Amino acid sequence: MSDIIIKTENLVKTYNTGKVRTYALRGISLEIARNSFSCIIGPSGHGKSTLMHLMGGLDGPTEGSVFIDGADISGLSNSELAGLRAKKIGFVFQFFNLLQNLTAKENVETAMMFSGVNEKTQKEKAKGLLSLLGLSEKLNAKPSELSGGQQQRVAIARALANDPEILLMDEPTGNLDSESEAEVLDNILKLNKDGKTIIIVTHNRDIAKMAAMVFEIRDGRLVDDGKTK
Amino acid sequence: MNIPKLVLKNITRRKARFFFTLLGITVGIASFVTLLSLGGGLKNEIKKQASELGANLIVTPKGWCAYEQVSVLTGEQLPEAIPFDDARKISAIKGLTAVPYLTERTAIKNSPLPVIGILPEEMKIFKRWEIEKGDYFSSQDENAIVIGSGIAQQFKLNVLDKLTIKGRQFPVRGILKGTGSKDDIAMFMSLSVAQKLYGVGDKVSFVAVKVDDISKMDEYILKIQEAANVAVVSDKQLLRSVLSIVGTVSLTLQLIAAVAILAAAFGIINTMMTAIYERRREIGILQAIGAREITIFKIFLLESGFYGLLGGVIGIVAGLIFSSIASPYISQNEFTAFMKGSEMAVTFDSKLIIGSLLFSVFVSLISGLYPAWKASRLSPVEAISYE
Repeated sequence: MSDIIIKTENLVKTYNTGKVRTYALRGISLEIARNSFSCIIGPSGHGKSTLMHLMGGLDGPTEGSVFIDGADISGLSNSELAGLRAKKIGFVFQFFNLLQNLTAKENVETAMMFSGVNEKTQKEKAKGLLSLLGLSEKLNAKPSELSGGQQQRVAIARALANDPEILLMDEPTGNLDSESEAEVLDNILKLNKDGKTIIIVTHNRDIAKMAAMVFEIRDGRLVDDGKTK
Repeated sequence: MNIPKLVLKNITRRKARFFFTLLGITVGIASFVTLLSLGGGLKNEIKKQASELGANLIVTPKGWCAYEQVSVLTGEQLPEAIPFDDARKISAIKGLTAVPYLTERTAIKNSPLPVIGILPEEMKIFKRWEIEKGDYFSSQDENAIVIGSGIAQQFKLNVLDKLTIKGRQFPVRGILKGTGSKDDIAMFMSLSVAQKLYGVGDKVSFVAVKVDDISKMDEYILKIQEAANVAVVSDKQLLRSVLSIVGTVSLTLQLIAAVAILAAAFGIINTMMTAIYERRREIGILQAIGAREITIFKIFLLESGFYGLLGGVIGIVAGLIFSSIASPYISQNEFTAFMKGSEMAVTFDSKLIIGSLLFSVFVSLISGLYPAWKASRLSPVEAISYE
């Protein structure tokens, strides 16, 4: 198995607004090592999140390719991409993006439902993951009954539900107070030690300092390829 | 977690919207079931009345319209157009029994009721009537009346009570045993008395004929038409003609109910489309955590179908209850007045229930197709980024 889990080749992403073409990414080529902790940094609106979406198969590139475990995902159908996301990639977002009408446990179970896990296993695993993240008392709490830090830990539990190799996190601490931020980062580091490949998109340089590889993006271009750190 | 559980949680989160959308489909299905059930009951009742008419052929004046044919079964007032002599000629034909009817109207306490002039002895044998109370006519021209059991019960009438018809008093000679037919809600007097009372000369309204050999029906029809200048219609033709009118009326009412269901379907589409716009971000989250297009499609289609299932069940129950309640009021209508005496004027058959439920679910699923397709086609990134 190759040491490179994600590779992008000359990624270009443009958006058409009327007759105006806007470049979000202008030829990004990078490699992410397996089991590594990487950060993608840069100012807001310079293409960090777009790059994360392309690497996670949430969106397709205008030009170029994304390889996951050596397989080009750029030509996959929406359904195949959904299958890939269900099995291989876990997402954590800045605003948690939990399903508000479900409990913490049900949020985690839902992710497993999409990859065909039976209900009994879903329940056991969701309980285990939430307990591992210190939420054993909040299993049946709705997101509105949880603090920001607790919600983000539920989101992390949900991202881990299908035991993915890759965790893509978009500003995971961007909406948390410093105490919650420390808790969440602690959990992230533990996950990395357990062998997960972590990629965090952030503009927080303190988080970037904890990463093994840092990619900096400005105006859709890679100004730091991660190898120079 | 499973998809039906997720669907249920989604659908009930906006309780007021859920309630009103459900109410739309419930009202549509309830009206559909009510009309279908009453229509079915009406058809059954007509078939029953036709079979209890006891005749294979009905002799009518030439040129009667369908409504007049219907009136033979419903007991409405009919024009008197067949001379009694013609009725006698028909009775004289071998191999058949013919009884003339003079169908007129009167009222007790402002309730319209049929008064039927008959040949007492012939009719008693023809109908196999039995007497519950009192006696039967003692002669062919007795100035008395015999009443159906339904009238006796409804107006608390007894033997020897007197009823005024067209200004003349008639004693109740006897009360017939219940037959479950329109005879229960009619008053009978001798033909000659009725002809004088209503001033119709020697005319009768129609003649009911029973034949000895049913296989020679066409032969009898020819013989009757040779004997008198009349039209002859078989009981089956009559039934077909009546059912076709009832069918047309029922169909029209069902089409009106279908419009209500169509309006409810648009209500479902509207609710689902609103739900998609509101839950756009949530759809993106589901996609991000691995939901395929087909799964999103399924979730929204099931949500829509659930409205049909629940609305259908409640609508069917409401429709059946409503049709039971409405049936006595509807039977006060002239056209359906003969149903008054019947025990059951609505049908509760399983085909109607299952058919209506399937129809409700089908309409809801069709309504959900477009919203579900729209939801499944959302781009995950656009959906997640939606504020």
